[in-house]
Amino acid sequence: MDFWFSYVTLAAIYVLLGLSTNLLVGIVGIFSVSQAAVFGVGAYVVAHFLMATNPISFLPALGISALCCILLNVIVTLPSLRVSGDYFVVTSFGIQLLATAVFTNWTEGTGGANGLPGIPPPDLFHRPLEETWQLMVLCLAGLALGCLCFFLIMRAPYGRLLRAIREDELAIAAAGKNVLRAKVSAAALAGAFAGVAGGLYATFLSFIDPSSFDLDASILLLTMVVVGGARTLAGSIIGPFLLLALPQLLTLVDIPSTFAAAMRQLIYGVLLIVFMLFRPQGLAGERL
Amino acid sequence: MTAYLEVTGLNKSFGGLQALRDCSFTITQGRITCLVGPNGAGKTTIFNAITGFLRPDTGSVAYRGNPLDGLSPQAIVRHGIARTFQNLRLFADLTALDNVLIGINGQFAEEPLGAIFRPFHAASTQRRRSAEALTILDHVGLADRARELVRNLSYGEQKLLTVARVLATGAELLLLDEPASGMSAGALDNIMALLRRLQTEGKTLLVVEHNTRVVQQIADDVLFLHQGHLMAQGTPQEIIADPALAEIYFGGAI
Repeated sequence: MDFWFSYVTLAAIYVLLGLSTNLLVGIVGIFSVSQAAVFGVGAYVVAHFLMATNPISFLPALGISALCCILLNVIVTLPSLRVSGDYFVVTSFGIQLLATAVFTNWTEGTGGANGLPGIPPPDLFHRPLEETWQLMVLCLAGLALGCLCFFLIMRAPYGRLLRAIREDELAIAAAGKNVLRAKVSAAALAGAFAGVAGGLYATFLSFIDPSSFDLDASILLLTMVVVGGARTLAGSIIGPFLLLALPQLLTLVDIPSTFAAAMRQLIYGVLLIVFMLFRPQGLAGERL
Repeated sequence: MTAYLEVTGLNKSFGGLQALRDCSFTITQGRITCLVGPNGAGKTTIFNAITGFLRPDTGSVAYRGNPLDGLSPQAIVRHGIARTFQNLRLFADLTALDNVLIGINGQFAEEPLGAIFRPFHAASTQRRRSAEALTILDHVGLADRARELVRNLSYGEQKLLTVARVLATGAELLLLDEPASGMSAGALDNIMALLRRLQTEGKTLLVVEHNTRVVQQIADDVLFLHQGHLMAQGTPQEIIADPALAEIYFGGAI
C-alpha cells in the first residue's frame, strides 16, 4: 500500500511542477528550461528552515520558500522581456546550469553532491505527519489547491490575457495592456507553485541532492507538459501521473537495476520526440 | 484653438533611410482623414510614431493639446488613441469574442489575485464585459461569429474584427491601417458604411488607404505623404485633381 501512497504523493508534487511549467511554457510562451532549479531552491529553503538550530514549523517554512521562489522566478524570467524565443531558451539553459553548480558546490548550504539527509517530516499545527498516507493527503491537498488556482486563473480575464501574450505581445500593447506586469505576475505564480512543490518534495523524501534539480529534471517537466498536454489543467495532471508510473512499471520488467535509470531516460526521450512529431497537443492539451 | 491631433516636425531615420522628413499635419475632430501616398512614403511609420510604438528622432505629437511624446503605447491608448495593424495581428487561437474582450480596459481579475480570491466577482463582471463585447461585435456585423476561433474567420471578417478590437478600447481617435485592402467589392461597401457610421457616432478616423475609390467615398480630408514628408493636404477632389501628385502616386516619378 505504501508503494501506491508514495507514487500518488510524488505525482501530486510533480503536478504542481507541471502547473508551474505549463503556466510559463504552455500558456505565456516563456520557454523556460530552468523550472527544476526553482523547484530545487524551494526544496533547499524548506530543508534549511526545518533543520536549523531553531527550526520553524512547516507551513511558515513553505511560505518563505514560496516567497523565495517567486522572487527567483521573476528574476530568471526577466530576460524573456528583452530576449524572446530561442534566445531565452539559451539564457534559461545557463540559469539551470548555474543553479546545478551552486547546488553541487555550495557544500555548507546544500550538502553538495552528497545531498542533505535527515530532513524532518512536515508538521501541521505542531503535529508531525510521519505516516505515508498523511503525507499523501497533504500533497493531494496541495495538488487540489494548485489546480483550483490554475482553473480560476484560466477562466478569468487574466488567463485570456496570458494566452494572448503568447500569440502577440505587440497587439497586447496596442490594446492598452501592460505586457510586463502580466508576464511578471505569471512568473511569480509559477515560482510559487514550484516553491511549494519543492518544500513538499524535501519533507516527503527527507533527503535531497542536486540530481533531483538538474537539467534532466527540467526536461522531465517539459516532457510531462508535452505528453500530458500544453495549456490545459487536465494535461498538467495526466503528464506527471503517467510519466512517474513508468519507473514503477520498469521494476516489473526483469532488467538489471543498473540499466533501469538509463532505460527510463531513454523512454522519456523517445516519448518527447514521438509526441512532438505525431501528437504535439499531447494527450489532453493544445499544440505547444 | 488647439488642434485635435497635431503632428509637428517628425523626423525618423532607420540607418541611412529617412522614413520621416519634417512631417507635420493636423487632424480635425469628427472627420475621416485619409493618409495616402506611394509605398514606402512613411504612412505606417507615422502610425507607429503617433501610437508610441516608435520614438521619432525629433518632433512631437499632441492630442487635444497634451503632448504624447515618450509615452508608452498603453498610455497612449488610455489617452484615447487606438490603432489597427496592416497585418491584423489578431489572436488566432482565441475566439472573436475574446479578441474584442482583450481590447476592453480596466477589467477586474486581469491579474492573478483578483482571479483567485474573488472568483465569483470575477465571473459576474466577466459576464457583463462579454455582453459589452458582443454588442461591439454586433456593431461591426460579426455577432454570429462571436464563439468562432479567429483562424476560422474569413479575411474580411478578420478585418472587421480588428476594427471591433479598437472600438473595445473606447478610444475616440482610431488609426486604421488599410482597413479595406484585399477585400471584395461587397465587403468593401460594408466596411465603408461601418467607417461612416463610426464617424456619426463621434469617432475621429485617420485611415491609411490605397484604393482611390474608397478615399473618394469616405475621406473628408486627405493627407498626401511622399518620402516621409507631407506633400499636400486637401479634399479628395483637390488631391486627385492635382496632376503632380497623380504622377508620384501612379509611378513615373522615378
